Amino acid sequence: MSSVGKQSAAPDAVKKMVELTIDGQVVTAEEGSSLFNAVKWTGTQLPAMCYHYSFSPFGSCGLCLVEVEGKKHNVRACTAKVTEGMVVSTGTDKIVEARKGAVEKHLKTHPLDCPVCDKDGQCELQDMAYDLEVYDIKEGKRKQIPEDTRSLVLDFNMERCILCGQCINICKEVQLVDALCFYKKDKQKHVGAHGGETLYCEFCGDCLAVCPVGAIVSKFSKYTFKPWQLKKTETTCSFCSDGCSITLETNARDIMVVTSELSYESKWGFDVEPGEGHGGICVRGRFGFQYVMSDARLSKPLVKTEGQFVEAPWFKTLIDIGKRLNDIKATHGGQAIAGLISGRCTNESVYLFQRLMRSILETNNIDTAARYGHMNSVLALRETVNIGGATVDEKQLALSDAILMIGSNLTETNPITALRVKASMSEFAGKLLVADDTETKIMKLATHPLQIAPHSEGDLIQGLVKAVIAKGLTDPDFIEKQSEAYAALKEAVARISETRVSEKTGLEWEKIEEAAILLAQSKRGVLLWGEDIVSEKGAYQNVRRLIDLALLTGLFRKEGAGILPVCEENNEQGAVDMGAVPEFLPGQVSYAAEDARRQFANAWHASLPESTGGSPGLSLSEIIEAAHRGEIKALYLVGENPLGTLPASMKVREALEKIDFIVCQDPFMSETAEIADVILPAATFAEKEGTYTNIMGAVNRVTEAFDPRGEARPDWKILTDLSKHLGHPVQYHSVEEIRREISQMVPGYYAQDKVHETSDLPENFAEDIPERYAAPAQDTRKNTMTLSLQQVLYHSGKLTTRDKGLMKIYDKAVLHISEADAEALGNLQTGDSVNIKSPLGQLEVQIEITPELPKGLVHYPVHFNDPPVKDLLATEIDAKSKVIYFKTGAVTLEPSASLDLRVITPEDAAEDTMEDAGKNAAKNLSAEDAA
Amino acid sequence: MRKILYNFLFVEIVKALKLVFSHYFVKEVTLQYPHEKTALPNTQRGALCLLRYEESQEERCVGCDLCGAACPSACITVVSEVDEKDGYVVRRYASSFDIDITKCVFCGFCVEACPVNALAMTKMYEYSTINKRDLIFDKTKLYDIGEKLHREAKGYLVAHNQEGEDEEVVSQYRYRFPSSRQEEPEQEEKK
Repeated sequence: MSSVGKQSAAPDAVKKMVELTIDGQVVTAEEGSSLFNAVKWTGTQLPAMCYHYSFSPFGSCGLCLVEVEGKKHNVRACTAKVTEGMVVSTGTDKIVEARKGAVEKHLKTHPLDCPVCDKDGQCELQDMAYDLEVYDIKEGKRKQIPEDTRSLVLDFNMERCILCGQCINICKEVQLVDALCFYKKDKQKHVGAHGGETLYCEFCGDCLAVCPVGAIVSKFSKYTFKPWQLKKTETTCSFCSDGCSITLETNARDIMVVTSELSYESKWGFDVEPGEGHGGICVRGRFGFQYVMSDARLSKPLVKTEGQFVEAPWFKTLIDIGKRLNDIKATHGGQAIAGLISGRCTNESVYLFQRLMRSILETNNIDTAARYGHMNSVLALRETVNIGGATVDEKQLALSDAILMIGSNLTETNPITALRVKASMSEFAGKLLVADDTETKIMKLATHPLQIAPHSEGDLIQGLVKAVIAKGLTDPDFIEKQSEAYAALKEAVARISETRVSEKTGLEWEKIEEAAILLAQSKRGVLLWGEDIVSEKGAYQNVRRLIDLALLTGLFRKEGAGILPVCEENNEQGAVDMGAVPEFLPGQVSYAAEDARRQFANAWHASLPESTGGSPGLSLSEIIEAAHRGEIKALYLVGENPLGTLPASMKVREALEKIDFIVCQDPFMSETAEIADVILPAATFAEKEGTYTNIMGAVNRVTEAFDPRGEARPDWKILTDLSKHLGHPVQYHSVEEIRREISQMVPGYYAQDKVHETSDLPENFAEDIPERYAAPAQDTRKNTMTLSLQQVLYHSGKLTTRDKGLMKIYDKAVLHISEADAEALGNLQTGDSVNIKSPLGQLEVQIEITPELPKGLVHYPVHFNDPPVKDLLATEIDAKSKVIYFKTGAVTLEPSASLDLRVITPEDAAEDTMEDAGKNAAKNLSAEDAA
Repeated sequence: MRKILYNFLFVEIVKALKLVFSHYFVKEVTLQYPHEKTALPNTQRGALCLLRYEESQEERCVGCDLCGAACPSACITVVSEVDEKDGYVVRRYASSFDIDITKCVFCGFCVEACPVNALAMTKMYEYSTINKRDLIFDKTKLYDIGEKLHREAKGYLVAHNQEGEDEEVVSQYRYRFPSSRQEEPEQEEKK
């Protein structure tokens, strides 16, 4: 353990120690470190309001005063540096008086509006005044500053502010965002955005959490609670795959505020080891809690009778579902039934779901949201090194000395993992290499930014592999053990031309070489890839190439090094681990393996469907194809919404309409639910028990904060009840029992520190190497734009578009376009409209000029369906992993005709509403195009 | 001999009668409740009430729930809400305020905790009822008591040194929201 300073030094750097005397006790401390920390380790806790271990001391509150021999004035311990032979006393009467004076100084200008202040009861100034017995305040003077309520989320009450600077420092040094500063207005010091502008930042809310007084308050929960009224429930965030631990503070039925460790854990950093997170959360976790209380939540089971949904009681509905499913199984066999489960369900629900589908309904046609990308990583890793996910944990990531990040906009998709990456660079002097087609926020911070041309990730990886081999930096262990594979790789990459790679990627070869050298020579390197790799065409091959790179640079072998494939939804990894894909049984055991199947069949007292031929069951795309052919008679959806997610070119609606019986289990009415036969209201994350598995494989607990709204029920309960009516009751009375079964069937799944042991490469590893490194076919795309669906920081999937708060922060369904393209289209400005055209149709959409984008690339937020830009994209299905690619596509843009002020006729208006209706728009228009 | 005389002359009876008749001339102590009632001191802890500011008739309570936090028998429930004007909060108040008087132990902690002196105790102690629900005093009832027994409530606060007699002293306990005090022209610009 050591005190975390902000010196930005590698974790293994040697530090000089000195001796000093504190209150008669001789202690050793790092030279140049803060005196505050040295005092802290003697066991004396100095009072302080502006100190926080996660950033450098600021010295504004004046409470940590100590006496240092030889110094005339009192010294602020936090900003004082430790020197040899220092003699310090911390508790003399003079010091206590001085501290009292400091608190009094703050209180003189404080409004003392504690009864209405949100911080009342948790306020550090209150505590200090109480502890130091400051009761008389002479001639108080209020600052008379009106509240700054301009920002969308945070209100700044400068009357309460004690100017401690913690908000500014955490923003600058931990978040590396630097959105806040002190500014002067009317001769008064304010805190806010630079230049006193309206604040629009990442809204992580860490400033809110560290504010010792109530100067920064959240608009979403202002004046609605007092801390002692609320019940605290520690649970896991339900949005991205970081799986942050959050605290829901609730009254009987509502979440009032979401906090994290940062709000409560000791700000002195007693137990914090280097590389550990500071306990903060992001905008989604902190402010995206209102969807749980949304009025749009389903509250009762709905059954479609004569085209209309009618409310029905649970018992009857479940009996009916059981009967229908049993009938279909009896007449058409299990193969006619399919199930899809979302990557947001708990591990226990997923386990139960796949057990129900496999053992009772006798079908292996199950799939999950991982099929939109993450399956590429899982399958490629399983086939080569036989692991099922990441091999690093949070701490290893932060302590890494070189991170290569490819195709991941990590600050937007996984903000807290991004903080660990930032820490590796800012705190531990690691190198950060970011390869992306857009100049993302993390690329701007990176030590080695590698901005590549769109679609050239594959070329870059090939180039990196070549550079590692050509420079002779290959891990000797790999050469020795896998000489055959190494030889094959060496031969294959010899054919790759350096000039071609730099031409395609738009990077000089030296830069690629430098990146390869850094990664190969790193002691604790980490290779991280994200959605731009796994959800774009050729993803499986790209992941295989990345694994080659990791093998060559020895990332699987070195201590502290590893790989980190990033997925989108909070439990995508868990859903795959729990076997919600046809390829795997729980524990990522191959379904094709006879003995494993028998083992599960015995445990479940049932027979499992046979694995015939190459495919044991249907994946998502195959389920839709089979539905088109009329082979699927029943579909059970748990939180999945294929109609809202997949583009129109998959013809999902037609496919689903051919299915006789669709059950949809969802907290909300979704597009797919509208055409379902039965809708079952499900509980949200705040209302259920279970676990989520994050990208690093850590299993985090989800705890129930209050009872589900209306008659909604948690997924596991619905499935358990349903099993009774399917004639094969599974006897679970609580989530705990399911968890016990999982730990029996998948030993060690809930273990805290999992070891990621890679096994040797399969014998046929060398076989497809030549194919992988063959020069790709000439790109035929010309003069077109690339449209890419991207995630936005403020949203997670479609779920958060139901959240009032997050929609208030970000609801811009706009096309992000580069400056150059906007100019080429006729000097378009932000807010203008363009027609976006693809062979599948055209749409009118507003634009926003984004300087970070390169020419020829446009981004659209994947979360929004209005206008339905995703419907313009063609789909492609990976031959190997069966992942559906619809993230990018070629489009053309032209200035919208509606720029001319035309008179809106009634016909036009009718057309507009049709477009608003959304789903059919693209189809109609494409029909028009054809005509 | 003496004893016989003692018995003969009914001395005991005379003594007893003397005692009885002497009470005709003693001031009576028994009060004929409910026809008569004691005069209670100002510090008497009776039924709770909520107060308004005298000059504006505004509710004093800001819904801070400190009373609820201080209550040892957890009988106070406060739900607070805010009034907004032009996007600024101008007032915070309790939208519902319930005291379960059946649980109340009349310790007076809530009154002591109240930072705006909105709560006070009165001398009222008669609220027996045939409906138990009537014993959960809601906001309306508490303000009604406060209005009816304003003098008693005020007396309680003065007697407990929580408030001065004149309004000037009272007003220093008032909290005004920063934005409600001034209308700067600049605020419009900022939006």
